[in-house]
Amino acid sequence: MQTTKSKPRVKRKKGISYAKWGYLFILPFFLAYCIFSLAPQVLTIYNSFFENYREGLMQVGPKFVGLQNYVKLFTPDKNGSISILKFAANTMVMWVEGAVPQVLIALLLSVFFTSYRLKIRGQQFFKTVIYMPNLIMASAFSMLFFTLFSNVGPVNQLIMYFGWSEEVIPFFDKQVTVRGLVATMNFLMWFGNTTILLMAGIMGIDQTLFEAANLDGANSLQVFFKVTLPLLMPVLVYTIITALIGGLQMFDVPQVLTNGAGTPNRSSTTLIMYLNNFLKTSKNYGMAGAVSVIIFVITGLLSILVFKSLTKDDD
Amino acid sequence: MKKALSMILVLVMVTAMFAGCGSAKPAETTAKPAETTAAPAETTAAPAETTEAPVAEYPEGKVFNIYAWNEEFKGFFEKYYTVPEGVTVNWIITPSDGGAYQEKLDQALLAQEGASDDDKVDLFLAEADYITKYTNSPLTQDITKLGVTDFSNTYAYTVQCASDGEGVVKGVSFQCCPSALIYRRSIAKDVLGTDDPAEVQAALSDWSKFNDVAAQAKAKGYYMTSSEAETYRVFSNNAAEAWVDADNNLQIPEAIKTWMAQAKEYTDNGYTLTCDIWSEECTAQMFAEGKTMCFFGPAWYYNFCMGNAQDPEKGCYGDWAICEGPQAHFWGGTWLLAPVGTDNPTMVAEIMNQFINDEETCSNLVKNEMQFSNNQAVNAKFANDPDFGNAFLGGQNDTALYCELSKNIVFENHTHYDQVINEKLQACWREYCDGEVTEDQALANFYALINENYPTIVTP
Repeated sequence: MQTTKSKPRVKRKKGISYAKWGYLFILPFFLAYCIFSLAPQVLTIYNSFFENYREGLMQVGPKFVGLQNYVKLFTPDKNGSISILKFAANTMVMWVEGAVPQVLIALLLSVFFTSYRLKIRGQQFFKTVIYMPNLIMASAFSMLFFTLFSNVGPVNQLIMYFGWSEEVIPFFDKQVTVRGLVATMNFLMWFGNTTILLMAGIMGIDQTLFEAANLDGANSLQVFFKVTLPLLMPVLVYTIITALIGGLQMFDVPQVLTNGAGTPNRSSTTLIMYLNNFLKTSKNYGMAGAVSVIIFVITGLLSILVFKSLTKDDD
Repeated sequence: MKKALSMILVLVMVTAMFAGCGSAKPAETTAKPAETTAAPAETTAAPAETTEAPVAEYPEGKVFNIYAWNEEFKGFFEKYYTVPEGVTVNWIITPSDGGAYQEKLDQALLAQEGASDDDKVDLFLAEADYITKYTNSPLTQDITKLGVTDFSNTYAYTVQCASDGEGVVKGVSFQCCPSALIYRRSIAKDVLGTDDPAEVQAALSDWSKFNDVAAQAKAKGYYMTSSEAETYRVFSNNAAEAWVDADNNLQIPEAIKTWMAQAKEYTDNGYTLTCDIWSEECTAQMFAEGKTMCFFGPAWYYNFCMGNAQDPEKGCYGDWAICEGPQAHFWGGTWLLAPVGTDNPTMVAEIMNQFINDEETCSNLVKNEMQFSNNQAVNAKFANDPDFGNAFLGGQNDTALYCELSKNIVFENHTHYDQVINEKLQACWREYCDGEVTEDQALANFYALINENYPTIVTP
């Protein structure tokens, strides 16, 4: 009796599809994604075709206006400059200024930390310390820099004290210094994170390859360029693309640093700060929607571009 | 067994996720669409309510919410107003920088109808720069129907300013804001040889004299003003045209153009520092070691913005005096407005009445808080009191001067766009003064910012 009973049980077990558990486990993510990311994204695109703002306390619209918001965005002003292009350029310049040293330093540090020859002591300590700035809220970090570099702040006091400059250096009135400060802050906040990611990438490379290369007499530079870098490429591309997406959405650092003005000459106004200007006073969802759609398109295009250019050799 | 366990785990995970969503969702995703659809409905519903609002049988709410942009009125309120027992007063304070206060307030006012009694705005503060936005809105109510009816002692402009187009009074101010030239006595002595208000006034009574003194001050190593925008209000509040004309075109009033020329000239000549008037750099000039001779402002300015001058260690308390200056003007002022839908109408009326008509409170404002109250009888009492003097101003009777200056106040040519426009123009023009951008570029930046902030304004 018992044997006949147990037979079908075995059969049933064999029929279990484990795949459905997998789907069940990833279901929460897809639900959350649809509710919190996809739906707002679709709504944003939808909103960008409407005239929808507040005049004083009165609501105007929503009224369908087709592509009018986009046309407005790309209409040059009297001097022939198109605001959105200028702000896109600002954003990219500040991102590149921060991202280039960020990736280079992170590469260097991650190679040092993972090298079996160097065997750096106190690794955990250094890793924690370089990651630290990322834990501070960007706005707090920005406020700190604002206070440090203000005309009456400690940096200027030090410069005057040591006699390096006769006059106060107005850090926030010069394009170079404002952009430099924004880039520095982004660099400081993110190089730790990038280092950790790249280290994970390097540690994923088979150690025997390094040993083999060393046995064949390759020096450190050769190992880096011929072994580490090509094998690290997928992780590096991922890192750069995520940094790029983050960079295009740059907002809190320049916003707080320039008190929302993006000065001087609006040269530190980023795309999201531009978007924010539309939303602030008039709740102009139409124009703000159009700006975000354009940011979305630029992000997509640039990601494809970076991805293609960095993975070309692999194909 | 394993199956049951994994099933439970999955369930726990999913429910935990949705529990998390439950609290986050209403706040984030649903808030926005609700706002856009609710707004038009409210504007039509609100007028109907204005007629019903005065009904006094509303049970008084337990929570009294006051919206403000700084702590000024909070201080007076807490000192001089006795909150009825059982009522909690909530202060919702948002700085006005870049229109942030209005943003917060608008959101609350537009959601007023659907808000629970304890979340309703019961009283809010507004400035001259944008008060018309609220007085002309059906979201504020007629305070005469709440029981604030006696305006016999207030200054006429404060009532006019708080009234809508048809003369319905929507709020009161606890202060009157004729603005004066506030100068450092010690620097005036050094530059002009006197610190007597009458003699200093004689030396600064028009702009050409003001320019001459600025040159003298510069020669002695002083700044005439601490910011190129220090004199802005003298011009802007005397403008003969509004910022925006009847067809919604942006126009720069002649008076502002005069200021623009002066700002550039003063910067180029080194008569002034270039910085925002609220910046640390500017206010640092109020310390004893500061090198600035003149500031411009009403009573609230030295009371509320010159904290550095009153600093016990680094300040210069008593080294100040006021005179009319080159041109009479007023600046700012804070009004208390009553939103429709407050569940504490009696308390709202009580507060308003106390701060304009209660002699003791108004006297305390003048005596203890260096204010110029919105009660002519009380102000006159102090103005005519030979023993009254303001220690911060070296014993000068400032109330007497303000009584004179208050006669000149004309409140006209204001739009609800003023705050943002004033702020943006000053910021963009400062870059030109500093030589960072050309005049054309400065104006282009200014126009672009106005377009971003106000889609309906047509810029040149």
